[in-house]
Amino acid sequence: MKHTNSAFEKSTTGLSRRTVLTGGAALLGGVLLPSTLSGCSAIAAGGVEQLKFWHLLSGGDGIKMNALVQQANDEFSDEFNATQTVLTWGTPYYTKLAMASVGGRAPELAVMHATRVAGYAPGGLLDEWDLDILAEEGVTEETFLPRVWEKGVMDGKLYSVALDTHPFIMMFNTEHAEAAGLLDSSGKLPAMSSPDEFLEVARAMQGVTGVHGLSYGFLNDGAQMWRLFYTLYAQHGAEMKLEVGKEVEYDMDAAVDSLTFIQSLLDGTITAQTGDYGTAVSEFVSGDSGLFFTGVWELPTMVNAELPVDAQVIPTLYGTPATYADSHAFVLPHQNNPDEAKRRDTYRFVASILKNSISWAEAGHIPSYQPIVESPAYGELIPQIHYAEAAQQVVFDPAAWFSGSGSDFQAYFAENVQNVFLGREDPQQGMEGFIRRLNIMLNRPNPLESA
Amino acid sequence: MTTTPQLNRAQGIGPSALNRRDGRVPNQARRRDTLHGWAFAAPFVIAFLLFLVWPIIYGFYLSLTGQSITGANSELVGFENYGEAFRDGDVWRSLGNTLWFTVLSTVPLVLVALILALLVNLGLPGQWLWRLAFFAPFLLASTVVSLFWIWMYNPQLGLVNSILGGQTAWLTDSNTAMISVVITTVWWTVGFNFLLYLAALQNIPEQQYEAASLDGAGKWRQLFSITIPQLAPTTLVIVILQILASLKVFDQIYIMTGGGPGGATRPIVQYIYETGFTAYRLGYASAVAYVFFAIIVIASVAQMVITSRRGAK
Amino acid sequence: MTTTEVLNRTEASTDRRVPSARQGRDKRKPLRPSSIIAFVILAVLAILWLLPFAWAIVTSLKSEADAGATPVTWIPEGGFTLDAYTSVLSEGNIPQWAFNSVFTSIVITAVSVAISALAAYAFSRINFAGKKWLFYLTIASIIVPPQMLIVPLFYQMLAFDMVDTYAGIILPQLIHPAIVFILKQFFDQVPIELEEAARVDGASRMRVFLQIVMPLSRPILAAVSIFVFVGAWNNFLWPFIVTNDASLMTLPVGLQTVQSAFGVQYAQDMASAVLAALPLIIVFLFFQRQIIKGFATTGFGGQ
Repeated sequence: MKHTNSAFEKSTTGLSRRTVLTGGAALLGGVLLPSTLSGCSAIAAGGVEQLKFWHLLSGGDGIKMNALVQQANDEFSDEFNATQTVLTWGTPYYTKLAMASVGGRAPELAVMHATRVAGYAPGGLLDEWDLDILAEEGVTEETFLPRVWEKGVMDGKLYSVALDTHPFIMMFNTEHAEAAGLLDSSGKLPAMSSPDEFLEVARAMQGVTGVHGLSYGFLNDGAQMWRLFYTLYAQHGAEMKLEVGKEVEYDMDAAVDSLTFIQSLLDGTITAQTGDYGTAVSEFVSGDSGLFFTGVWELPTMVNAELPVDAQVIPTLYGTPATYADSHAFVLPHQNNPDEAKRRDTYRFVASILKNSISWAEAGHIPSYQPIVESPAYGELIPQIHYAEAAQQVVFDPAAWFSGSGSDFQAYFAENVQNVFLGREDPQQGMEGFIRRLNIMLNRPNPLESA
Repeated sequence: MTTTPQLNRAQGIGPSALNRRDGRVPNQARRRDTLHGWAFAAPFVIAFLLFLVWPIIYGFYLSLTGQSITGANSELVGFENYGEAFRDGDVWRSLGNTLWFTVLSTVPLVLVALILALLVNLGLPGQWLWRLAFFAPFLLASTVVSLFWIWMYNPQLGLVNSILGGQTAWLTDSNTAMISVVITTVWWTVGFNFLLYLAALQNIPEQQYEAASLDGAGKWRQLFSITIPQLAPTTLVIVILQILASLKVFDQIYIMTGGGPGGATRPIVQYIYETGFTAYRLGYASAVAYVFFAIIVIASVAQMVITSRRGAK
Repeated sequence: MTTTEVLNRTEASTDRRVPSARQGRDKRKPLRPSSIIAFVILAVLAILWLLPFAWAIVTSLKSEADAGATPVTWIPEGGFTLDAYTSVLSEGNIPQWAFNSVFTSIVITAVSVAISALAAYAFSRINFAGKKWLFYLTIASIIVPPQMLIVPLFYQMLAFDMVDTYAGIILPQLIHPAIVFILKQFFDQVPIELEEAARVDGASRMRVFLQIVMPLSRPILAAVSIFVFVGAWNNFLWPFIVTNDASLMTLPVGLQTVQSAFGVQYAQDMASAVLAALPLIIVFLFFQRQIIKGFATTGFGGQ
């Protein structure tokens, strides 16, 4: 192996390891360091607490939240400065939030769906809110609707403070409705109190658009499937209970009835047979349908598109008023060594956002903070007030450590029931598969709770 | 003291021989060598024990418990987790996805690399550019590659549909998601195999081609009678490296499809991640990780058996 | 195949100043028709391979409105602009992530190559008790896939209170058994005379290692350093597991994890991706030969 060295020596003339590394580092340093340093100097401002705030709001919601954060930062610029980190909605966000809380260096504040709190609080992933400090900032139980406030309480402790309720509603194109002769003198759709009455309205809309009557996207989207299903299911007066160690308590007749009705909607005429979320939004926006089952958060999209749109809760077709909803709620992710000054400022920051949440209402959400809902400004928001009643009749996901928005629970629903939606499987079979899956989950202990 | 003639032999004389020349007792020298040896190896050994050996042992221990991410349920449950893993349809499904990805990706990653290397090795002008084009993607992070290709595959705004026409939702349609990820992977990592082939091609003795030319063999005959057979050992190495790399796939699938639609592309590593960190079940995730490890070990042992057999021939 | 042989092969393939016989012959001849066909095929393939880059770069130079406009065009209606880059660099976390990537990758490279070289030297040159089984253990550990360790390592980082710290990112990335093996193979082939002479003259082992062995090993150290650096720079899974705090993330993790509050912004997404890709591509442009050799060496060396 005598040739070894000569081969190497030849190549060293070209370059050494050090040259590569120094070169690369210098290059990067030159490009990037100046801005990094300037970033640091902003943080170094004295006396002002830096608050890390995580959320999963993007698009229209993200823009509104950004404005709210800036407003709070400006108002209390000598006390704190909150910086946002936005993570991908759903599983990626909740996974990171849990890992950060376990890791002990969690952000000072985060937004969670109220339905996910049950999966977080018992495991010690969240710290509880101090009611006295909240009261000092003007946030008390009386300033929320009971249903909404109670959603944040577990074992007598408050773990989440709701910013909003965001129900799954029905929007309609007023021009199409007018053309179909559906509107009454006050511009409302006729009352629909049975599936047939609803189908009639939807068909009338279809007659106007020539494409579809109703837009609803669900393909590969467990959350969307669940939102409509659970609205209809709850309108039967049915409930679903998930308790670890027991089997699911549910009402199969109501479930089959709801799924059968959904199948009748997805017939290719009333509604596209295989629409995903984005397709449904663009179909409604482009005027190819007159009705739209969607979350309130799509309202800004309609406003931006200058669509003649109004909204209402999904009509009560089975006797019991019920609207599927969730809440964006503020939580304190667990910190091993919370900084008292930061904690205190966090309360002030949250209160500031709640008190300015009229702009949050503009994004479609129903504010939780009652002084806002009762304010004249809110009464002038149209179509928001047309579905404000939803807050009184909300149903949330059945509580369990694995349920809630963007959870495995909704993924299981999609896995088992998508083929029912697509008309390829019998409703009862699909539902049974879903229940079997849930029973497997309930058979196991909550991984976060000691048995 | 000067170097003695015997020491000119490059190998075979270890430090112990030197010690004896010093006149010390071998036993003492050996003790000193042991001290030095461990001192040199110590930093590596400590890191090795802490961040490789211990996690392997601890991971196995965790797999025997019901441990959650918050530390709850840490009691031993025996091999219950393994039993559950064998009954868990999602484990089998993600293993199936992983194997399917391995099959789909290995074949083009070897063949395309070979074709690229053969073409570049013709010595056509533009060597610098060819190497840049085919190897540069390999230097990109998985995230960057995924961002590039998510954009390429965008149904309305992507280049792929704009060239091919149609509105295929490449990454969200279960018929196309896996193949789309495979195409991205080939684009990304084929450069490495290409490089290994190029190195091997340059090493085929020129005389063989000259002799074949004299015998009247054309270029194509030479390709199949000399080049391809001469590349066989390299091909074996590349295939093995590629299979092992493909079995470990996670990044690009997780980023591009999230394992979807409906778990259609979820690889086993993602399932470990999800059970451990999304569903909080560290114990169960560890058991699945060990099932995965067993497969890697089997693949590696198979590799050793195959290579040593070849060596024996 | 040994490391050295590979080094020599790649040397031949990559050093244009020492053309192989075949290359030389081809260059003197005029291009035959078959060569022209091959050239065209190669050119088409190269264009295909460069297309995603080109598309990303072009998109990053569009305004958001043009990037999201249909039908898809290469030349934007509103002309090219650097807006996406300025907003990404001024508003986002990219500079911080880039710093984190550079910092962690350099530390990982320096420390892991140093400790690997020390261990490899011990394996190659010192007859210490326990060497055999320690070496076998090291070799055997090459087959351990790092992916399977994420769970216990994360739990370990919790115990060390290292989640969301630089140490947490760096420490588990320091062990490269394959690099130890490659370096040991190299040291085995370095003639021992110089070392022995120095030892006889009374130099300590460490001095021999630092002053004689290290300088002789510069090419192989460069090769493995390139390999480790690129690996660390691009590593996704582990930094993704151990960092939740956006200000500690590396480029690949941050780009994947953190969203813009303003929703999807195609031009900015591509500008971020291009910025993250740029450093290594530029380094590659300058040091193509050395990097290719580094990869070929370590690629075969692992076997």
